[in-house]
Amino acid sequence: MKQSPLKLLLVAALVALPSTAYAQKKTDKGDSSKTDQPSTGDDTGVPGGGLGGGGTGGGGTGGGGAGDANSPDSFICQANPEACQVPNLIKEYAAKDLKDSQVYAVQQIYALRRHRVEISPYWSATLNDQFVSHAAPGLSINYYVTNVLAVGLNFNYYQPFNADAEFNKLNREATRLAVPINDYNYGANLNFTYVPLYGKFAGFGDFIFHWDGYIVGGIGAISTRPVAVVDPENRNFNWKTKVAFNGGVGLRVFFNRWLAAFLEVRDYVYNEQLEDTSVTGKPYVSGPNITGTVRDPNTWYGQNSLTNAVQAQFGISIFLPFTWTYRLPK
Amino acid sequence: MARNRKVTAMKKLFAGLAIGAAAGAAMFVSTNEASAQEIQLTGPLAHAPAARHLRLHREGRIEIAPSFSATLLDEYRRTLLVGARVNYGITDWLAVGVWGAFQGAGFSTSLANQIDANAPRNAGLVKQNVSPNAGQGEFQKQVGEISYMAMPQITAIPFRGKLALFQSVFADVDAYVFLGAGVVGTKERADCTDVVSCAQNHDLQAQNHIAPTWGLGFDFYLNNWLGLGLEYRMVPFAWNRAGFDIRGQDANGNRTSSGAYPDGQVTSADATYRFNSMISIYLGFSFPQQPKITD
Repeated sequence: MKQSPLKLLLVAALVALPSTAYAQKKTDKGDSSKTDQPSTGDDTGVPGGGLGGGGTGGGGTGGGGAGDANSPDSFICQANPEACQVPNLIKEYAAKDLKDSQVYAVQQIYALRRHRVEISPYWSATLNDQFVSHAAPGLSINYYVTNVLAVGLNFNYYQPFNADAEFNKLNREATRLAVPINDYNYGANLNFTYVPLYGKFAGFGDFIFHWDGYIVGGIGAISTRPVAVVDPENRNFNWKTKVAFNGGVGLRVFFNRWLAAFLEVRDYVYNEQLEDTSVTGKPYVSGPNITGTVRDPNTWYGQNSLTNAVQAQFGISIFLPFTWTYRLPK
Repeated sequence: MARNRKVTAMKKLFAGLAIGAAAGAAMFVSTNEASAQEIQLTGPLAHAPAARHLRLHREGRIEIAPSFSATLLDEYRRTLLVGARVNYGITDWLAVGVWGAFQGAGFSTSLANQIDANAPRNAGLVKQNVSPNAGQGEFQKQVGEISYMAMPQITAIPFRGKLALFQSVFADVDAYVFLGAGVVGTKERADCTDVVSCAQNHDLQAQNHIAPTWGLGFDFYLNNWLGLGLEYRMVPFAWNRAGFDIRGQDANGNRTSSGAYPDGQVTSADATYRFNSMISIYLGFSFPQQPKITD
């Protein structure tokens, strides 16, 4: 009981923290009495806030709201000319005749990505391997250099989730032939993402949500090993790391301006070492790794095969920071 | 004692202040969110529909869409199907229709080719399971194939919108899911009921299966009457894709891969359940050619 006030404070802080972070730009450092004046609040406030175009905070990049502070001769404008562009742009656009103007299908990109970090936990499932499924949890981190171009890393952890299909066993029993199969351990990649496609959907004709489409590609490493199916009594393969290239396409749906769900199809291409389908060497007698016997690892590997591991990866994306500044007013 | 009471009173005061501060912070936060919501409720767009002047590409229209489909994750044989989908849009978010297709072409997988070339025909079980004469393409002729599909289905279109490509090309698009059930015609290895006949007869016979189907897809509307569709479909049912004796029947008539296996017969007991999947592309023509437009 003695700790209850502290717990309450902690709970209040936890509750307050995300909201404050979400709305931090909304807070006006300037004079709140100036909110009736032409404001840059929508440009700097909570994205999407202020349907009337004004915003609730005023101030923003002008560092003190509208008025004299935005005069070209003011100290603020001389120190930071960029901060005074928005009021000028508002005047410029207000003076335009819209009759012949081009109206874009998506007037203002809902979730800007530029200079934001995207953290994406996901689940990966095999699409094209009917013999072994390589499911994996994964994590990717991207940094958007521009609004449409990102560089990042992703990591898949396959090892506990490899699943040999029953079909392999049935086929081996029926034909006395074994299909060489491989397990995956992990994959790590450096990726480049390009987002050329974006739009918005109406859900049941009632609510609007935004989405984008992207292509992704990169280079990395994948750790794999053959599963001993031809001579499992004598063969025991170690993990080996190979160079892997990857490419894919994805679709991302935004729940709000910093949280999205995504689905992507990614092809990891690498050169796989398969188990030798024949057993060569002398029968094993005793002793480990005796050269020339069936327990010599040099006799275990067969042909190499260029492998396309096509995975469906789906998860959520969290964009940081939660808020940003639009360059132009809404 | 007095000192203890004073300390206790200070603790209570501190606790009260803490609770007050927490409540104040919570109210401050909630006030911020409530005011933002208030603007939306009372602003000029209050109670306005989410979208105006929507082109209703589906409502009251019939769509006839020739399709091309390819099966996925095939073990022994890939099938390419050609067909068509006919949908009637009861509303813009609900449609009823039918999809049908028949086999246009089929290709053996690498595994089927390897079995044909390398399976040891001298082993007893393999002799029943695999056509004789290695390397002459006979095994490929005994593996199962899909002949046709006819699937009445209901389509729900919960999401629709538009996309911008390179900020220069714009198109209406919707996303849909569908559910239905229908008939799948296959050719599978004919039944054989003893070791001798199974070793000699590897011919196929036609069979029909009742199967559910479901999936999801996207339609991209190139103009008012022409659309391009991409769809993923699943059609699960049990069939004997390789023509192998891989199961027997126990005393209760249940399929089993132990005990009664192998039973020296190729029958329906050897069918295994599979989530057959395929991907399709569509070119849809909508009638009447002009869609309704909302207010």
